[in-house]
Amino acid sequence: MTAYAWLLVALPLAGAAVLLLGGKRTNAWGHLLGTAMSLGSFGVGVATLIEMLAKTAEERETIIHLWDWIVVGTFHVPVALQLDQLSISFVLLITGVGSLIHIYSIGYMAHDENRRKFFAYLNLFIAAMLVLVLANNYMLLYVGWEGVGLASYLLIGFWIHKPSAATAAKKAFVVNRVGDVGLSLAVMLMFTAFGTVTFGEVNAAAESASTQTATWIGLALLLAACGKSAQFPLQSWLLDAMEGPTPVSALIHAATMVTAGVYLIARSHAIYDIAPIAQTAVIVIGGITLIMGAIIGTAKDDIKKGLAGSTMSQIGYMILGVGLGPVGYVFALFHLITHGFFKAGMFLGAGSVMHGMHDDVNMRHYGNLRTAMKITYATFGMGFLAIIGIPPFAGFWSKDEIIRAAFSHSPLTGIVTLIGAGITAFYMTRMMAMTFFGTARWQDDVHPHESPKSMTIPMMILSIGSAFGGMLLLFVANIESWLEPVVGFEHAHGGPDSSVLIPVTLTIVAIGAMMGWVQYAKREVPLLAPTDVSIFTKAARADLYGDTFNEAVFMRPGQYLTRSLVYVDNKVVDGVVNGTAGLVGVVAAQLRRTQTGFVRSYALVMVLGVVVIGAIAAIVGMA
Amino acid sequence: MSSALIADITAPSVNYYMLAPILIVLGGAVLSVLVEAFYPRESRRSAQIALVLTTLVVAFLAVLNIKVDAILGFTIVNSLAIDGVSVFLQGLIILSALVGALLISENRIDPLGDAFAAQSSALPGSEDELAFTERGWYQTEIWSLFLFSVGGMLIFPIANDLLTLFVALEVMSLPLYLLVGMARRRRLLSQEAALKYFVLGAFSSAFMLYGSALVYGFANSVELGDIAKALSASAANSNLMLVGGIFILIGLLFKVGAAPFHQWTPDVYQGAPTAITAFMSAGTKVAAFGALLRVFYVALSGLAWDLSAVLWAIAIITMLVGTIIGVAQSDIKRMLAYSSIAHAGFLLLGVIAQSKAALDGSLFYLAGYAFTSLGAFAVVSLVRDASGEANHLGQWAGLGKRSPVIASVFTLFLLALAGIPLTSGFVGKFAVFAAAYEKGLAPLVVVAVIASAIAGFFYVRVIVLMFFTDASGDEVSVVVPSFATAAAITITAVVTIVLGVIPQPVFDLLSNALFLK
Amino acid sequence: MVIAFWICAALAVFGALGMVFSKKAVHSALFVALTMINLAVLYAILEAPFLSMVQIIVYTGAVMMLFLFVLMVVGVDSSDSLTESIKGQRVPALLGASALGVILIGLLGNITMTNIGFDQAYVAYDGNIDALAGLIFTKYLFAFEATSALLITAALGAMVLTHREHAEKPLTQRDLSVLRFKSGNHPGSLPSPGVYARHNAVDIPALLPDGTMAEISVPKPLAARGAIRLIDLASKDEVQALNRGEAVITSQSTDRVEE
Repeated sequence: MTAYAWLLVALPLAGAAVLLLGGKRTNAWGHLLGTAMSLGSFGVGVATLIEMLAKTAEERETIIHLWDWIVVGTFHVPVALQLDQLSISFVLLITGVGSLIHIYSIGYMAHDENRRKFFAYLNLFIAAMLVLVLANNYMLLYVGWEGVGLASYLLIGFWIHKPSAATAAKKAFVVNRVGDVGLSLAVMLMFTAFGTVTFGEVNAAAESASTQTATWIGLALLLAACGKSAQFPLQSWLLDAMEGPTPVSALIHAATMVTAGVYLIARSHAIYDIAPIAQTAVIVIGGITLIMGAIIGTAKDDIKKGLAGSTMSQIGYMILGVGLGPVGYVFALFHLITHGFFKAGMFLGAGSVMHGMHDDVNMRHYGNLRTAMKITYATFGMGFLAIIGIPPFAGFWSKDEIIRAAFSHSPLTGIVTLIGAGITAFYMTRMMAMTFFGTARWQDDVHPHESPKSMTIPMMILSIGSAFGGMLLLFVANIESWLEPVVGFEHAHGGPDSSVLIPVTLTIVAIGAMMGWVQYAKREVPLLAPTDVSIFTKAARADLYGDTFNEAVFMRPGQYLTRSLVYVDNKVVDGVVNGTAGLVGVVAAQLRRTQTGFVRSYALVMVLGVVVIGAIAAIVGMA
Repeated sequence: MSSALIADITAPSVNYYMLAPILIVLGGAVLSVLVEAFYPRESRRSAQIALVLTTLVVAFLAVLNIKVDAILGFTIVNSLAIDGVSVFLQGLIILSALVGALLISENRIDPLGDAFAAQSSALPGSEDELAFTERGWYQTEIWSLFLFSVGGMLIFPIANDLLTLFVALEVMSLPLYLLVGMARRRRLLSQEAALKYFVLGAFSSAFMLYGSALVYGFANSVELGDIAKALSASAANSNLMLVGGIFILIGLLFKVGAAPFHQWTPDVYQGAPTAITAFMSAGTKVAAFGALLRVFYVALSGLAWDLSAVLWAIAIITMLVGTIIGVAQSDIKRMLAYSSIAHAGFLLLGVIAQSKAALDGSLFYLAGYAFTSLGAFAVVSLVRDASGEANHLGQWAGLGKRSPVIASVFTLFLLALAGIPLTSGFVGKFAVFAAAYEKGLAPLVVVAVIASAIAGFFYVRVIVLMFFTDASGDEVSVVVPSFATAAAITITAVVTIVLGVIPQPVFDLLSNALFLK
Repeated sequence: MVIAFWICAALAVFGALGMVFSKKAVHSALFVALTMINLAVLYAILEAPFLSMVQIIVYTGAVMMLFLFVLMVVGVDSSDSLTESIKGQRVPALLGASALGVILIGLLGNITMTNIGFDQAYVAYDGNIDALAGLIFTKYLFAFEATSALLITAALGAMVLTHREHAEKPLTQRDLSVLRFKSGNHPGSLPSPGVYARHNAVDIPALLPDGTMAEISVPKPLAARGAIRLIDLASKDEVQALNRGEAVITSQSTDRVEE
């Protein structure tokens, strides 16, 4: 089966190609083809896994060399797939959750006239994401990286007629460019430092590399991860990305694409293992985002934005986890997978709620929906229990391990993760209470109803994953020893013992949940968000001023970038040189004057050029 | 005085296999002149198109034939060198010319006819011109001129002595000067561009000729191989050779559009009929870089150290000028012109690096760039308003919503120009930069990467403009082209992707591409 | 030889500068001829008789004469404005040119050349003309042949840029006269003003045999200005004045006189 692993990518890619090139002819069956391709890819993934399980741990890594991409002198970049425990885990997550979301979308997008296009983009995304995780070198990973980005913009802006969707796509595009600079820098640094960009060779070369090199590469990779995974300070695009259709939010902006940063850092573990400064930076970024996302989650009335804040926060956990080194890699990836289940499940639940509520996303208009939407309530509830970390649900196992590893690193990181867990419990309880409990605050013409089977069945499957996935992975699949050959694993030493930590964690979670319950289920929830709130709430509502921050840090110094990139350069459109154009713009405008249009002045420039060249040659000749 | 008898002159051996592509194209050109003279006007245009396409296809087969027979070497007393590089470049030039011919033949997108003035001799805006246009006449001489230019391009990169090099340069350029000035729309701009191109081209030719004379004074030969021998034999550096070498390079650098000899590029690219711009940007670049590579690798490698400072300076200035001024452009054709200047700068890295890897990289780069540039200009010719092409960037706003397919294809070309992975542009840039880096040109590579980043900005700007900006309200539409342009765009887009995804076959092809010395 | 070189070289440069700086095109053309002839002399000194003769025959004889013909046709006193319109062009141009000169002199001023190419060719082919022929038909055969492409292009280009085809078949004299008669207007020349009238002033229309006035006989510019004096034959004053040869103020032209 391994020999056919290329089918993993080829199937969804073919699906996307047929749907995009086939045009309207494929409207009737396009969604079915898309789903079939995704399921086919999942099938290949399962078969590959079974074959891999038959081998011993050391033999499980297989490189499938497809063709040589670039061969220049001694430098060699193949197009090759790396099948190992890490990539196959991602493959199953992507194709598994992806297929469920394809199925869900059949119902969710049934009335959209561009449904075929939607499935084409979803297929494109699956293919690109698989390239990202299956690549055996950073260059090919970069291709997948850009591919998922492209699919993401296309899907965020899918409802292009909504100005907010177009703006959100634009924002995601711009912010991600900043992150991409990091990845290209990292690739270039690797190329200059090691002369190779293949994972295996980089890992081997990293062992003998200088700490300084590794630090710079590590920081550049971190910048890339921040962009893709919506980590501080590049987090702002994710909240706006919720303008896309809900299945997209579930698949791309919760379960898979946004976790690419975690994957990237885990893949580059050899670099980080010798670069403590870069590791610390990763932990700090993860810690900040984890708290930030959670705080933002507490203030959002928009159910999808609330979940988006939660996603940021959970990915913060993972980033922090991979920053911890060998004690954390496995658990961060573990959390990534469980999060994929429960967060995708909850997003689909949110979509189902919106479906029944006339696409209203304001939780203040919900309430008491457990009576009207029983299945959605039950599945969302499973996800809720998983994310706040109630045993034996999936999130408990993975988050608990990260918290323990964080304590083994330092008390500070441990406390940050604990506080995060508390806030998570608070905002998730708030979301649960405002949506499913309390009094019905439905708008007049809204009649909540349960969604069709094609939507509820994927939700049920994901909720099963939310419930039992953690236990399965930890005790049956034994994820520690499964991933250990790829990323390395050490047991956490130091810090409080599990027997102390688990009760403490659960207590904090319980306190958070109680506060949320008292505030939002027991009391009346006003229909309009109260305005006389504390400065903290205001800040949280404003995404903790993420946009303001971005503007101050990225936009104003690089004003020319955003100005001309996003607003397409008023000076181009108006012909007026904009005073805010940055250095390059000004220099360009000055240099442009040399282009007078007079042939004799061109000839003069040529003569002066010859003079300068002659002078240089004469000086060099004399020297 | 006992003069030598004719019998004493041994006739030079001519290898017709090697010369076949050139002879076929120039023969086709002469035939085309005859068609012009004797064919009835009504069917002349279709006859010319058929003749040109047939000629090019046959010439391409002749190139393949050289490859198959592997009869490589010099011919006509060392005036031409047929080696791996020549065969590759000739093939590439003919393919670019084929795509160019498809674009030139387009007469659907403009309601008035093709892209060329109905009668170039008629004064712009005169009643005469109107009468010719109304009659739907075509200036079919363009086809003869086109073939002559292609013939010159085929000779230029394989010329093995400076005299042949110069003649080839003129055979290539003279028809182009004419073609540039023959646009149907905005004729004054077009004529001005032609005049500029001609005057500056003559100016640079003068430098080149003077340089050739000086080099002859040094080496007592104009043959590239002899020059190299003379260089290695002379113990001291001769100023004669240094100045001569620099002046020859200036002539070549003018043709490739390197700063500070680049200023004609934007004006000419903007003024010329877009189909000709497309053909020039691909064909001239390939031919001129081929010649530059040959002169530098074969003849001047002994001078490499002395010239390195000069070439470094030129490469850096070219990259920066191309990208930085490119940022300030508001006309799509001028923007692409500056992009071509920047690409010339990147390619100079391959010239300076002087290694097999750099040569391969440069040739690959040329192949990728030729097709991408042809495709980009082809798309430019389709976006029009009532008065002709809509070249102002502002008019491109919101194009993605109105014609997503064309906007996507143009995005592909822009990404290739920017050098984004999975496009030919990326592989080419990568190959050249990597080869330059291996040869210790790290500072140049750093500048090149920075320049690429700046250039990426103005390509991305157009993408953003097309997809994320609302239309300005001008009546701009994408015209549905005839089969020819559609085929040209499809071919170039496919080549751009295929070379980006599976470049290895081309590199394999290049593995035995070496200069005969 | 050295003396001859310096004289001819100086003259050639003088001619070249004169060509650039003279205001009249004819002078420029003559300066070119001066340069060309001096170059021909230089070639002759260098034992290249063929080149020398060709230089004179082709450039001075053919090309320059053609130039002069063209100038005659276009008009000798058509001269371009020589005022420089770009700021900062002249001075940098002068500086650039001088700097280029300085660099070239600095780099090339003290080189010594060994000219063996000529000698080799002379030995091989025995003499200048034979050597030239020998090289053209052997070593430079291809360049020589390729030049033909250049010439065809030049001819074609000249045609394209100047030869004007006619959209319709041009009319012959016969066609024109047929048209003239068909139109029904005056096929011949128009009557002269004043004919048969009592006055021969140019603004007084002729009288047709039947006594009516032919307004068409007054030149068009006058007619356009409304300056036709129509004599009112019924008005005694006017007729008498005419007979006396005095200026007549007609009723129609009153307003014009007031001006």
